[in-house]
Amino acid sequence: MNERCSMTQISQDGSVSSRRSFLANTANGAGMLALASLLRDDGLLAGEVTRESAPNPLAPRPAHFASKAKACIYIYLEGAPSQIDLFDPKPKLNELDGQAMPESMTKNVRFAFLQKDTARLMGCPRTFTRHGECGMELSDFLPHLATCADDLCLVRSMHTEAFNHHPGQLLLNTGSQMFGRPSIGSWLNYGLGSDSKNLPGFVVLTAGRGTSGGTSNWSSGFLPTTYQGVLFRNQGEPVLNLNNPEGVSDELQRRSIEGLVNLNRQRLAAVNDPEIATRIASYELAFRMQSAAPELIELSSESEATQQSYGLGRDEPNVKSRGGKGQFEAFARNCLLARRLVERGVRFVNIVHASWDHHSNLNDELKHNCLMADQPIAAMLKDLKQRGLLDTTLVVWASEFGRTPLGENRPGFPTVTGRDHHPFAFSLWCAGGGIKGGQVVGKTDDIGWGVVEEPVHIHDLQATLLALFGINHLKLTYRFQGRDFRLTDVAGKVVDKMLT
Amino acid sequence: MRLDVHGDAVRGGDSGPAFEAGKSADSLLIKYIAGLDPDVVMPPEGDKLSKEEVALFRAWIDQGAKWPEGSPGDGKVNTGHWAFQPVRRPAGPAVKAEGSVRNTIDRFIVARLESRSIAPSPEADRRTLIRRLKFDLLGLPPTPAEIREFVEDTRPDAYELLVDRFLASPHFGERWGRHWLDLARYADSDGYEKDSPRPFAWRYRNWVIDAINNDLPFDQFTIEQLAGDLLPNATLEQKVATGFHRNTLTNKEGGVDQEEFRVAAVIDRVNTTSTVWLGLTLGCAQCHSHKYDPLLMHEYYGMFAFFNQGNEVDLPAPLPAEAEAYAKAKSAYDAAHAPFATAVSEFESTRLPERLAAWEKTLDKSSSPTWTVLEPASIAGTGAVKFARQSDGSYLATGENKPAETYTLQFQGGVPKGITALRIEVLPDAALPAKGPGRVAHGNFVLSEFRASVSSPAAADPRPIEWGVASADYSQDQFPATAAIDGDTKSGWAVAPQFGQRHVAVFEMKTDLNIAEDEILTIVLDQQHGLQHTIGRLRLSATTMPRPVQLEGFPADVAQALAKTYEQRTLAEQKKLLAHYAPLDTELAKLRQDEAEHAKQAPRPPATQAQTLAEISPPRATHIHVRGDFLRKGEEVQPHTPAVLHPFRGAAGRTGNRLDLARWLVDPANPLTARVTMNRVWKNLFGQPLVTSVDDFGTRGEKPSHPDLLDWLAAEFVSPSPPLSKGGAGARGGVGTAGNDRGGEVGANWSVKRMIRLIVRSATYRQSSQPRSELAERDPRNVWLARQGRFRVEAEVLRDACLAASGLLTPTVGGPSVRPKQPAGISELTYAGSARWVESTGPDRYRRGLYTWFQRTSPYPMLMTFDAPESNVTCTRRDRSNTPLQALTLLNDPVFHECSQALGRRMIAERAGDPAGRVAFAFELCVGRPPGDAEAQELGRLYAEFRALAEADLGAAGKLAGEPKPAEADLANTAAAIALARILLNLDETVTRE
Repeated sequence: MNERCSMTQISQDGSVSSRRSFLANTANGAGMLALASLLRDDGLLAGEVTRESAPNPLAPRPAHFASKAKACIYIYLEGAPSQIDLFDPKPKLNELDGQAMPESMTKNVRFAFLQKDTARLMGCPRTFTRHGECGMELSDFLPHLATCADDLCLVRSMHTEAFNHHPGQLLLNTGSQMFGRPSIGSWLNYGLGSDSKNLPGFVVLTAGRGTSGGTSNWSSGFLPTTYQGVLFRNQGEPVLNLNNPEGVSDELQRRSIEGLVNLNRQRLAAVNDPEIATRIASYELAFRMQSAAPELIELSSESEATQQSYGLGRDEPNVKSRGGKGQFEAFARNCLLARRLVERGVRFVNIVHASWDHHSNLNDELKHNCLMADQPIAAMLKDLKQRGLLDTTLVVWASEFGRTPLGENRPGFPTVTGRDHHPFAFSLWCAGGGIKGGQVVGKTDDIGWGVVEEPVHIHDLQATLLALFGINHLKLTYRFQGRDFRLTDVAGKVVDKMLT
Repeated sequence: MRLDVHGDAVRGGDSGPAFEAGKSADSLLIKYIAGLDPDVVMPPEGDKLSKEEVALFRAWIDQGAKWPEGSPGDGKVNTGHWAFQPVRRPAGPAVKAEGSVRNTIDRFIVARLESRSIAPSPEADRRTLIRRLKFDLLGLPPTPAEIREFVEDTRPDAYELLVDRFLASPHFGERWGRHWLDLARYADSDGYEKDSPRPFAWRYRNWVIDAINNDLPFDQFTIEQLAGDLLPNATLEQKVATGFHRNTLTNKEGGVDQEEFRVAAVIDRVNTTSTVWLGLTLGCAQCHSHKYDPLLMHEYYGMFAFFNQGNEVDLPAPLPAEAEAYAKAKSAYDAAHAPFATAVSEFESTRLPERLAAWEKTLDKSSSPTWTVLEPASIAGTGAVKFARQSDGSYLATGENKPAETYTLQFQGGVPKGITALRIEVLPDAALPAKGPGRVAHGNFVLSEFRASVSSPAAADPRPIEWGVASADYSQDQFPATAAIDGDTKSGWAVAPQFGQRHVAVFEMKTDLNIAEDEILTIVLDQQHGLQHTIGRLRLSATTMPRPVQLEGFPADVAQALAKTYEQRTLAEQKKLLAHYAPLDTELAKLRQDEAEHAKQAPRPPATQAQTLAEISPPRATHIHVRGDFLRKGEEVQPHTPAVLHPFRGAAGRTGNRLDLARWLVDPANPLTARVTMNRVWKNLFGQPLVTSVDDFGTRGEKPSHPDLLDWLAAEFVSPSPPLSKGGAGARGGVGTAGNDRGGEVGANWSVKRMIRLIVRSATYRQSSQPRSELAERDPRNVWLARQGRFRVEAEVLRDACLAASGLLTPTVGGPSVRPKQPAGISELTYAGSARWVESTGPDRYRRGLYTWFQRTSPYPMLMTFDAPESNVTCTRRDRSNTPLQALTLLNDPVFHECSQALGRRMIAERAGDPAGRVAFAFELCVGRPPGDAEAQELGRLYAEFRALAEADLGAAGKLAGEPKPAEADLANTAAAIALARILLNLDETVTRE
């Protein structure tokens, strides 16, 4: 028996053109990922993979226009980190600490827990200093990120209409507060395909507890499931069911898949259904993923210095935090894994971390979370840059909304130590992949209540992200229930200022 | 604002009319498209209009702004679109190859094929047929015995008999119920952040399975699900049916606007109804009139108005068997309990009066302490708390429950002279959490301070009352009654854990209190502990008894009655005395305790509930939501249906309701419901629909591949079946009596089963699914149906097939959802890991896939990997992807590995004396046929290889075999069989319906 899995034998079944025709005939070509990738390995499809000639849904495809970004690392911090304590210094707010806001400003505003009549402005105890040549002001909670200031494009004028977590998360990640829409990573893979041969095009890395949006944050919605985010886990096997069951050695697995392929090939010869060929190929790729994924997560090949820079093996403060112990290590790993995934051609890596919803005890909990996130993220930016990958890799720090300048006086809590949900003005940043670093976009008023300059809506951000990949957000559409849907719904405007 | 619909263009947008005929110079439209207003330029994106184009607009307005008749958007609703035309019943066309026709369905297919000079495929062999039919009708693979029986059945109607047998199986309701649950977006949790479980969602699923098994006609099936509650004398089951629209999502996040999510649920009901019954994308008209179909925004809200009156109600809904068992147990209990109750009542009527008299003699009436209940002139809290006076003079707090409260009671007049103490009674009440007496969830309260003062018109400041001692019948550790008069609001009196019972605290005054008639006594109950530790029901009284004051005593009315002799008392007074004395009688107390003890054995009523809809009263007004924003209310709208469809009859003299809407949907004049439904049935039996856009029959949808066939099916579906005595269907024309011989084409009268029966009996359905190379280029998607479809089975069927082949399947029908094994770490993805996955035990681990608990924010991974819907919105058609993750699941997922182990063991156990036959036996269990020579050779080779591997590493073989450990002599064979079974369960053919 040939030691090699039998792909070459399949290719002996017919000429290239007959193989091409069964590719074209496969109605649901999800498994075609595998086949096309194997064929390309054999040099059969090299250079001719275009949208027209190969229906492989994940085959790389040309963008609408030339662009820099090839991959995206999308750091999603669920719950809404306080922009006032991290990104948007408000000296005036500190002056007004303890004072009420004019009723006119809060009149038609909804809050989750805050009691309007007795709420007071809450100053920020953080120290903001200028960093980099650009002089970007950042909080003392982010000392490592501050050293990357010249690569960051900090947007202080984000706004959204979603007010509760789950709808807000859907809007940020899928462009709509409604369920059932595809996430950004799904849209990108749908639009551009993926360069990865042995790994999915859209990978999700989580740490800590779950998000309130759960899997809907990386769902492919109405797009084929091929485009949905594949969750890599940080405990146990990296991909669900990647490991063989107990008692199945690698040798047994190899021979099993070989036998399976042979039997399926006999069936293919008998019934001549191209879908069988696709299934054969997906087993081949599954087998390859079984070695590629463990190789990916095996970090010992990284130098000691690299591991240290990301903060692997750091001490984690022994405080009781939501999500439990072990998040420092998991988050640092995820940042390093993100770089490794991008190196291997994965299109979209979503790093997810929950627990930024600081209704109370904000100072301690935000400090704890920043201690966890700051160093690995900064290390990742520098690592990407040093390897020449930052130019083609877009890195985004985002959350569903921001937090109020008012302190949260939730009933039943004796002291005010947190901030409530705030959709009208918040901050996020982007770096790399064609982003113009070292600048601040937008401005909020003196207390950070509303945007006064250069407002950027979630849909504008999404339009800009797509533009960085050479995609016109108006043209990337999918017909569903009679309508051509877009990531940006019926809105969105590219923020030119963010681009190089 | 739209310019492509006449009415909208003339009406204009938010800023008023866009133009007036003849006056282009005043037109807002021209102003914006010509760029005359630098702030508003239209279109907002893309290229601006050229000067020439703007000039054309000007000219058109100046020439009268005429909208050509018959152009799109001319305001006429009667479009020529095929799906809006009445359903016809075309005659089956003549075909050359009459031999290819088993019933009329075939005529439509064969005629189209003949026009392209294509012959249909031959009938599939019997093994394929029974496997296809059982997958399609029951979602399970046939057993080897069933296959043999069918293959050897020589009766001419063997196939038809098989069809009828499957249609009568209770598994039919599971298979076709699951198709319906996709549409119903069925799930076992709320969705959104908290994603709370819905422990009784399954009650609706049971209804669906039963309704489909009983072949509830589709019109009735529709009416009961949309409006079963509104049917006259609605049965419990008809109310349960309304659970269809209770599968909408619920958001329980902190601080959500309940109205926003109520509206979101109503919108989903409108959109789902429209998609499922009409195949229309009505949701597009939520923010503006539909861009492509003749559906207007006010029509959207007309539909919205029907559902806007629905209220979500959870009903006790025991299953018939549960109700019966309960009734039986209850009557047995009632009989056993009667003597205990009788003993109490007999004692009360015969013995109690004499014992009261005896007790009275023991009393020293002169010194009996007396408490007078004080009737407040006012009682109020600081928040929006309300107080309801109870008949015993106590007050029950309702309404707002602030974290901290201060109740103030004022008394004027009716206060006795010479008061020595005040007393507060805190009382239990069924309306309070944990029966009170406090308002916090567990029933406690903290009385931080008990203050009293007297204000007099003469004095500027009220004079505070000074307290001597305080005592209580019971005090929580660290919370004594004295803490309520220590002047410190951080301490207080509380009663944990003695909740649900009466407690008293007494506060003695330092000096006797005498209040003049014009003075006011104010008592302040300060409750500053926070977290809603407030008092739920209370009563205040005063006493004049000498110090030390006793906690208890006779209430004033009892004392009054006691002061009289038996003969002097009124009947009411005597009753009052008996009521006062009864709890003090030790013999009665014992009888009552016996009764209470026995009452513990009372059977519990079944816990089963159902999520249902009910109509609210008075009705809510429905307004257009301007731009889809529920806060921006436009004009008011009455319930009505889109004008492009058949007329809405409703009921004369009243507004239309959900029941009227449901009847409108199944009105035979409706051009859509029957077509849309038949299209889905067809899809489920061929793997592809006749109209590809199953969810869009509008103008942007796909045209049917076989329009006449679709119409014929729709007509047959809704035609009433005439009584058999009249015979035939000739009267309605179309098909002739020949139909009778060919599957009962006499009108299905909304019977879905009859339509399925008809379709699966057709030659078209019975064709081989073998792809035909000569058609690969001409009809790559098999639209012409020159063969059957060949496709991977759905997620649940795949699970069931593997469980069945391995012998693990638990075939129980119906009941609550179960939690089979899933890989570790899945439920942790939910919000704070709230949805814990407690694995089911015993046979429940191997139930069919449709019973798997569906948690919306962390759905069962295997289901999602194989394209089960996310169940957040209605799903009319599943994907059929083919991915490496599926390969990994089938190879390695714990459930499938267990199947491999069970199948491997089954090979050894059931073919103990036939090692050579083992492989063929397992192969047939998986794919329904014996292996061919080449396959048998490959399988034999693999088995030998696996055996050799197992012998070389018995440790690994032991692990592979799992528990219970096989006998040592069998170990290598068992491990080899399991390894082989694993391959068999992964075969393309195993997971494919051919």
